[in-house]
Amino acid sequence: MTMGLWPGVPGGGSPGRSDVSEFRRRFRWIGLGMVVLFLGLLGRLFQLQVLDAEENKAIAHENIVRRVTLATTRGIVRDRNGKVLSASRPAYNVYVVPERLDMQSTWPKLVDYLGIGVDERARLEAHLTALRADDGVRKRQQILLKEDISRDAVAILATHDAELTGVEVVPVPVRYYPFEEIGAHVLGYMAEVDAERLTTLRSAGYVEGDRIGATGVERAWESYLRGSRGWEKVLVDAKGRRKQGGAGIIEEPRRVDPIPGRDLRVTLDADMQRAIEKAMRGELAGGVALIDVRSGRILGLYSKPSYDPNALSGGSGKQVIRDAFRRLYSDPLKPALDKTVSGAYPPGSTFKPFTALAALEKGLIDPRATVQCKGFLSFGKRTFRCTHVHGAVDLHEALAESCNVYFYRLAAEYGVGMDLIAELGQRYGFGARPGLGINAEASGRMPTRAWMTLRNKGQFRLGYGLNAAIGQGATTVTVLQLALAYAALANGGTLYQPQIVRAVETSAGTVVQEFTPRVRRQIEIRPENLALVQKALTAGVNEAGGTAYKARLAGVEMAGKTGTAQVSHKVTRGAEAERVWYFNREHAWFAAYAPTKSPEVAVVVLVEHGGAGGKHAAPVAFEVIRAYQELMHAQKSTAASSTRGAAGARSGQGRAASKPDPGGGRP
Amino acid sequence: MLMRSELSRERDHFDWPLFICAAIIAVLGVVNLYSATSVYQGARAELYISQVYWLVLGGILGGILIAVDYRHLERLGYVLYTFGVFTLVLVFVLARDVRGSARWIEFGSFRFQPSEFMKIFLVIALAKYLHDDPRSEGRSLRELAVPAILTFVPALLILKQPDLGTATILTLIFLSVVALTRVRLKSVLAVLATAGAAAPIVWTYVLLPYQRARVTTFLDPEQDLLHRGWHAHHARVAIGNGGLLGNGFMHGTQNQFFFIPDQHTDFPFPVYAEEWGFLGSVLLVLLYGFLAVWGVRVASLAKDRFGAVLGVGASALIFWHALINLGMASGVMPVVGVTLPLFSYGGSSVTTMLLAVALLMNVSMRRHAGVPSRL
Repeated sequence: MTMGLWPGVPGGGSPGRSDVSEFRRRFRWIGLGMVVLFLGLLGRLFQLQVLDAEENKAIAHENIVRRVTLATTRGIVRDRNGKVLSASRPAYNVYVVPERLDMQSTWPKLVDYLGIGVDERARLEAHLTALRADDGVRKRQQILLKEDISRDAVAILATHDAELTGVEVVPVPVRYYPFEEIGAHVLGYMAEVDAERLTTLRSAGYVEGDRIGATGVERAWESYLRGSRGWEKVLVDAKGRRKQGGAGIIEEPRRVDPIPGRDLRVTLDADMQRAIEKAMRGELAGGVALIDVRSGRILGLYSKPSYDPNALSGGSGKQVIRDAFRRLYSDPLKPALDKTVSGAYPPGSTFKPFTALAALEKGLIDPRATVQCKGFLSFGKRTFRCTHVHGAVDLHEALAESCNVYFYRLAAEYGVGMDLIAELGQRYGFGARPGLGINAEASGRMPTRAWMTLRNKGQFRLGYGLNAAIGQGATTVTVLQLALAYAALANGGTLYQPQIVRAVETSAGTVVQEFTPRVRRQIEIRPENLALVQKALTAGVNEAGGTAYKARLAGVEMAGKTGTAQVSHKVTRGAEAERVWYFNREHAWFAAYAPTKSPEVAVVVLVEHGGAGGKHAAPVAFEVIRAYQELMHAQKSTAASSTRGAAGARSGQGRAASKPDPGGGRP
Repeated sequence: MLMRSELSRERDHFDWPLFICAAIIAVLGVVNLYSATSVYQGARAELYISQVYWLVLGGILGGILIAVDYRHLERLGYVLYTFGVFTLVLVFVLARDVRGSARWIEFGSFRFQPSEFMKIFLVIALAKYLHDDPRSEGRSLRELAVPAILTFVPALLILKQPDLGTATILTLIFLSVVALTRVRLKSVLAVLATAGAAAPIVWTYVLLPYQRARVTTFLDPEQDLLHRGWHAHHARVAIGNGGLLGNGFMHGTQNQFFFIPDQHTDFPFPVYAEEWGFLGSVLLVLLYGFLAVWGVRVASLAKDRFGAVLGVGASALIFWHALINLGMASGVMPVVGVTLPLFSYGGSSVTTMLLAVALLMNVSMRRHAGVPSRL
């Protein structure tokens, strides 16, 4: 360096204006200082561009490449006629990236545009500040700020898009139930997946804020309905704006398409559901099941009181959800409980046909033999009551007029013991979950002698058997169990697996999977015994003296049995005390099938604490069956009118080509 | 005849290495500016053309400066200095705020930044003083009082604009020139002690909150990545993203996706480094290094004290600008608004840098000549 660059400087002499000797040795040091500082700078650049190059390249890549989730659409649930029962509508959600949100300028504007209240603002600010202080990747990820903002707010945010860095409005499908309260229990609702379940569900693709079927069909068929998300890698600039291109920057694959969820075709009939709801309007609480006796398919399943699944499914924001849940769980009438499958109740007299069958099958009684009813039966130290004095009754009258004494005596004197009843009851499906699979199912209880002994500390009283014979005591059933058992009475002995989903379809309507009726058990029963019971059930509705005779409707033909089940006396405290008279009232039952000849449907109505079955449950059942008949008639006529033209043309052709039909001649 | 022979002699003495080095930097600067502003639409994308105009204008001014023997500047030294300080005072009266600081004076559609030219005037004034004050022994503090006052009057005016960067540059020019002189060791220690004692006072009372924030952000860049730290962070990432060979011209993603702020004024280097990689960075640093060191060599060859101080002052001006700008871009210095010589966009900045190069050229060319006839 000293050779060429630094020529010798003439020195010596006395100080003068041209004397540069003061500076002589300084030039080298200054030059050297500059070189050293620049070498230091080169060292820093070497560090950034060579040593830390990979790390910096990764940050630069992450800056501009963003993986955005492509939403999938949840499958639609339709009824047997194609009416939509649950579907999705778009809700506009506001997302922010905490790291990119300017808390000084952007945030107050956003608060203003969205109309966020003071409390909510403070809460959100605390949350955002916490996230921004986070060291990890969370501050760079979008978080949900506000759900389902109004269309007006969407428009305002779109107008001010340029000044809202780090804010994004994303349309998200929200579950929508057009029939609202009708069918809430069977269809279910959607709930945000909680942190606890997320730990197990994350591998299945669920993330924070996702909704998952919480009850009913939505829960049980979640994996079919959900579909799977897709994603796409896009380029965004520092202001969050999308950029085109990216070849060579974004690695393959750039996009995975979302797969839409499967649609479901359920066996329910929306019009039937509505008719059932209408029939139940006079009652406070209960459950109704309407099933096809020829297939086990469920046409209607209704639990009362009901609730609006729309409020719970997230459409209107978290506050609405919280309020709805509070109402749901504070109501003493228990709207959250699906009373058709989850609640077990003593069946009362609706169980008598099965006691009768147990006796008949073992040949223990002569159906024509009569028993004297004096209005009660003394047995041991206890007195077992009847509804009133029936006088001399045979099996037919005992069933139709619901005489308790007759059945007490079967148990007390004719050897129709508890185990015998339980054995037959189990064949009809009592005491076991029917396997509908949509909500938590109660199994009910079909007590045996051994079970009762265990429960009562080794003591068995014969009186238990008397109660069991009339469907009281420890015996409990669910509405759906009873409906399936009556269907088996109606169809000659086939116990079906209850069916709610008929087919799985693609969003384009192609059937992917179709479910045929499944028989759980073929019950071996002698036809003449069954005929006796069927005849008695018909009489119970259609003959004077029948317990449901007074409730019958003109033109509605069915066979059924009333039930009035005593409830174990409830002692309540506090605010409930004034309502205790209600909670101590009997449950009203009515179980039936229609029409009496070649039955199509079985219906079971339970009115909780409704009182007498003939007075409160039977009228509901009549309304339901009348609606069913009208509906079938209407559907048949529309089906006929829509196919008549084509069928007529075809049959006309056929007739012309074939010989005259010998049996088909009309006068 | 006389004119002709003088011209031919000056052509022989023309400092080609200095000129070529400055020219290469200026060309790279314009090319880089084209890429840096290509992300914008409209007038801002045309800035590289304006930059060419500024280079031409600055070149003409520099040519005029070269034509006049630098020794004539000696008599004008304090006049120019006084004019410079006057324009700085004028800034407070006339200037409009641009991003919170008032730095410009406008004449119609033309505006210039007096603080830029003050750097040249200060170099000349310091040279004039030291030229008139030759010493053979080491200087005491009192003997450095005048150059110190010459420096801190404009420096404080500029600090009040507020413009921390330029005030820092003036101070560094002063220190570089002082480094040229012989100062007693005792005095140096005394200055260091005083500076150490004064630092907390300056920190608390002189610096503005945003200036303090820049320093604290520098010391802890992660404390606020979204605001003050954002510039420094993404400038650094852009440099690193260049890697060894760079992403190629117009292909720096940090720049193309708006992650480099002020990419035409304060941060042109990250744009360049991202596109040309470490090899490009080495080339640019070598060019600046050569320019600065060559300037010091020119100073060492000067025939008189005035030329020597002019040379060192002009070199120091270029050197400190380059070092601080590259340092803040690569995250080893706080972000202060110091331009990269001949790389950053701006008329005042480009002109000042070209005048500094012209001063060096002037000193270099006159080293062979005798005393001009009029002196």
